[in-house]
Amino acid sequence: MSAPAASEVAVGDSVTPFSRTVTQEQVHAYADASGDHNPIHLDPDFARSVGLPGTIAHGMLEMGILAEAIASWAGGSANLLSLSCRFSKPLLPGDTIICTGTVVSIDDSGVATLEVAASSDRGDRVLTNGRATLRPSR
Amino acid sequence: MPDKSHVGRRYTAAGQRVAPESARAVAQAIAGATEVREPDAVPPTFAAVYCLGPTLAKLFSDSEVGMDLAGLIHGEQSFEWPEPVRPGDVVDATAEITGVDTRRGMTFVRLAMEAVRPADSAVVCRGTSLMIVRAPA
Repeated sequence: MSAPAASEVAVGDSVTPFSRTVTQEQVHAYADASGDHNPIHLDPDFARSVGLPGTIAHGMLEMGILAEAIASWAGGSANLLSLSCRFSKPLLPGDTIICTGTVVSIDDSGVATLEVAASSDRGDRVLTNGRATLRPSR
Repeated sequence: MPDKSHVGRRYTAAGQRVAPESARAVAQAIAGATEVREPDAVPPTFAAVYCLGPTLAKLFSDSEVGMDLAGLIHGEQSFEWPEPVRPGDVVDATAEITGVDTRRGMTFVRLAMEAVRPADSAVVCRGTSLMIVRAPA
């Protein structure tokens, strides 16, 4: 893995392109692992009854994939200081989530701020208004 | 249904164990069919399990607030990890309702949360959430 140390990160650098296809099986696994068994993620009939096109992935599963995309580029999850995003559009099982990020600033203490986002292969902007910060290298 | 009178309500879920096997299960679920890259680490968003989930459960069971779970959407989430959480840690999680607004028939509930490791008083996670309750159809 060619992950940069945080000290090597520069404004304008981009997170290594990262994509992952999310399956219904994976959504079930996330529900079991996280304890979030909301039926909008698991039961297609229930999901349709509340106006969704079918089951949708957990927002926190998507955010977890985004965190992994950033961390794997930034030298490990311990380097991730913060992450925030808006869950703008649902990700449907079978969709591929595509995570992106660019370093927009580095402050005097060495904390790098990235604008981050995720979209689906069907063109939906899934995670928007994303921000991540990286710890300064120790 | 939540309203402004509920702002300031706090929910505490003490003694949340960051179980290594649970952290690994979440990491594997995030990885899907791929290999977990950091098998011995706690995935950052495992905060959903030790901080967000248990405090939300307290909010959802607060009958005076009366959140309608059938129409609930997770709108936004932020996490900050001032100190990395470690497998086996036990943390006390708290959440507070910081805002309630109603627009176009939807109710927007804002929360701020924190997880503290009592062993060394370290704040291992701070976060904010936006939960959106849609009007019944």
